[in-house]
Amino acid sequence: MSKLGVHDLSVRYGKLTALSDVSFTVAEGERLFISGPNGAGKSSLLGAISGAVRAAHGRVEMDGDILSGHSPEGIARRGLSMVPEGRRIFRALSVQENLMVGTGLRRDRAAVADDLATVYAAFPILHDRRHANAGALSGGQQQMLAISRALMTNPKLMLVDEPSLGLAPKVVDEVYDRLVALQAQRGLTLVIVEQSSARAARVGGRMLLMRGGRVVADGDAASFAAHDLLSEAYFGDPA
Amino acid sequence: MSLQILFDALSLGGIYAIAALGIALIFGVMKLVNFAHGQFIACSVFALILPSADAVAVLGLGALPAGLLIPAILLFGAGLAVLAEAFVFRPLRNASPVALMVASFALGILLQNLLLVTYGGRPKAISLWPELGQPVRLLSAEIPLLQLFVIGAVGVILAGLALMLKRTRIGLEMRAAAEDFGMARLLGVRANRVISGAFALSGALAAVVALVLVAQTGVADVRMGGQIMLVAFIATVMGGMGSLPGAVAAGLALGAVSALLQAFLPPEARPFRDAFLYGLVILVLLFRPQGLFASASAKPRV
Amino acid sequence: MSPQPTTPHQIRRRMAATTPVLLALLLLAFVLAATLLGDRATARMAAETLIRVTLVVGFWIFAGNSGVISFGHAAFACLGAYTSAWLTLQPAMKTLLLPGLPGFLAQAHWPVLPAALAAGLLAAALALISGAAILRLSGIAASIATFAFLAMVNTIWANWTPVTGGTSSVVGLARYVSPWVALGWAVAAILAAALHAASASGLALRASREDEVAAAASGIDRYRHRLLAYTVSAFFCGVGGALMGHFIGVINPDSFYLSLTFLMLAMLVMGGIGSLSGAVVGVLAVSLAVEALVRLEKGVTLGTTTFALPPGSQEILIALAMILVLVFRPAGLLAGREIMLPARWVTGRGTSNQ
Ligand SMILES: Nc1ncnc2c1ncn2[C@@H]1O[C@H](COP(=O)(O)OP(=O)(O)OP(=O)(O)O)[C@@H](O)[C@H]1O
Ligand SMILES: [Mg+2]
Repeated sequence: MSKLGVHDLSVRYGKLTALSDVSFTVAEGERLFISGPNGAGKSSLLGAISGAVRAAHGRVEMDGDILSGHSPEGIARRGLSMVPEGRRIFRALSVQENLMVGTGLRRDRAAVADDLATVYAAFPILHDRRHANAGALSGGQQQMLAISRALMTNPKLMLVDEPSLGLAPKVVDEVYDRLVALQAQRGLTLVIVEQSSARAARVGGRMLLMRGGRVVADGDAASFAAHDLLSEAYFGDPA
Repeated sequence: MSLQILFDALSLGGIYAIAALGIALIFGVMKLVNFAHGQFIACSVFALILPSADAVAVLGLGALPAGLLIPAILLFGAGLAVLAEAFVFRPLRNASPVALMVASFALGILLQNLLLVTYGGRPKAISLWPELGQPVRLLSAEIPLLQLFVIGAVGVILAGLALMLKRTRIGLEMRAAAEDFGMARLLGVRANRVISGAFALSGALAAVVALVLVAQTGVADVRMGGQIMLVAFIATVMGGMGSLPGAVAAGLALGAVSALLQAFLPPEARPFRDAFLYGLVILVLLFRPQGLFASASAKPRV
Repeated sequence: MSPQPTTPHQIRRRMAATTPVLLALLLLAFVLAATLLGDRATARMAAETLIRVTLVVGFWIFAGNSGVISFGHAAFACLGAYTSAWLTLQPAMKTLLLPGLPGFLAQAHWPVLPAALAAGLLAAALALISGAAILRLSGIAASIATFAFLAMVNTIWANWTPVTGGTSSVVGLARYVSPWVALGWAVAAILAAALHAASASGLALRASREDEVAAAASGIDRYRHRLLAYTVSAFFCGVGGALMGHFIGVINPDSFYLSLTFLMLAMLVMGGIGSLSGAVVGVLAVSLAVEALVRLEKGVTLGTTTFALPPGSQEILIALAMILVLVFRPAGLLAGREIMLPARWVTGRGTSNQ
């Protein structure tokens, strides 16, 4: 059974259709990149999966359970976690408090402490700054915090929206290295929105290409980087 | 004399701060300016007495010993607020802040008239803890015992609330939700739990204000929550909408200004004290529209 | 003959121009029905309803166009009512009731119409001054400030006894407000509201309501448009207050406090704050419902038993209805639509050219 199944999912904002009839599945432990030009509907897709955005119609399943219609917290409690566009860290809370917000759904205190140790090991800077206000972190550190915060809910499936946005290439490398290591360590399934197909190819995984609210291509990320499909998606005529 | 003013300022400001917290807590989590808060206070006052239209109130709940009475009335306030949330504000969860505010105003009128129907419109004399009226000598001043109790209670409540927000799970969730409710929910924070929690706290704080008002004035009046709610609103605006420390600071400041006005206004101008206070506040906001205690860089949230 | 409107825009404008005419006709029909078919009590109810139309349409000029809820408009009605009382009462009466009035006011014995105009103008002046401060605040904070303003005016009025009579009532106002007088002012308010809404300032204000982001970019302009709407709005609330005083003949500060604020707000919200027609329809709907309730409070005899609602239940029911409207029909009865003639009527052809 696939980890995540998306069937005919559509999102509308008033008259504007941001996502129309998107379908795909993600296997357990897979890493899926979603790419496409600005306004393609990538964030809307993640929002509709996580329950943050109401779908106009369609269905989302995780492990065969239907997620659609549940509240965002209900979906989070089923093991889906989200690193949203713009990171949305709680600026007035300390770094450690940010990490703890998502642990309310867990009963195993020892495991929470273990996970805290794990993310602090993965991102030592967060440990150093754990009592500081999260608003005082740099952009890259905030991204690490947002990823760690999502991990602290102990998800089976994690959605990450543009982790590279606004970060220096070196920092992006670091973020991806940690993300890949954590995925391997915990058997996570990852869905990552990434504008750069070159980056996706380097990290490795499958890739969906979106445009105008639809999936226009689906394949191995490495094959996209060379392929002209991508430039067509960016600059070509919508046919 | 000056010590007396200090104690007046502290006890009045403390009550304003408690009322302002009740408003700011709810505004923080759901952007609702709760115009029914004054009626939460009034209802808690009337919960002390038995329904009747007589001029002298017969204590009902109010006859309990303080050790039972205080928790009972706090529970009453909390319960009332939670019910109001469940029946009025939950169906409006996705409505605009303006619609929420208008609904709370309607709820306030509804509660006020329910009180009128049940208890009649005349103010009632009510004697709660008369022994607290005794003055105590403190250095050069005579301080009513009640004032000392109020100041102590306010201190305990503020400290307790700060601890709760800082150290408990629900406190953490409330602070997270106040900053970004949608994000908190994505992390599994239950919206209903946080909002009910905020209402329960707010209602309990309204009940505290009610107890103090009754003990101070010895009257139960349908209109008694209105003035203090207004001051609390002003404190939350001055404190920078939704900021809890800001609300407390502004509440204390307003108490101090009130006490000073009361002491130094010429006697014939004293009835206008509140008018001066409101006018002053509008003036202050002219120069600091984002609130007195909000940092100038904080982005406006309304 | 005027040229036929051709563009959709011109057609829209013509259609919009029919709204105040239709609303005025609706009110005229209401007054005719009440005075011809009903008894004296019905006529009084009609006059009272039309006074409320003046108040609520005045209120709408600000709240409807700016999207900011004001709790302070009852204060303008208060000032209006007392201004008219100061100007029209018998000087002998004033020396007795209001000994603190300055000489000019104590002597004044104006006719009612100039006094009503003065009431509106003074209210507008107060709005200009208070609005200059309050309207710098953003939406919700501004609403709170208007509430503080209302409380401030009420405190002053209730305590400034030599000039306002304090909490005791001022009596003896000439009761000249017939349904026709009230109709005249209601129609004037509707015309002014329609003109303002169609003006550049009104359009800009509504645009700022709908698009907070674009509006923030031109904050100074928005402030000026808000202030203008607030001032015009207060004029009609001031007049409405004067009419209230001369309708009942007795005024005191508490008739212009929370219950009036609530009633105006309830009417506006239930009719629909999004349109002028909503404001008018809201007043009519709520007033008729209130009239029915008042009769119920007096008691209805069915067979041998009398059913009566306890006093105060009127407000309870209105508040309940208001909450239900907010939950189930948040845009109000008219949902932001205007009453207007269909396109093909205003183009004068058989078809609209859409
Ligand atoms: N809250 C919203 N209200 C109205 N329209 C929206 C909203 N969010 C997104 N849209 C519109 O929906 C479309 C898809 O937006 P979305 O954010 O999903 O795109 P995206 O692929 O994530 O773009 P980007 O790469 O810029 O993040 C866009 O046209 C956008 O303008
Ligand atoms: Mg996006």
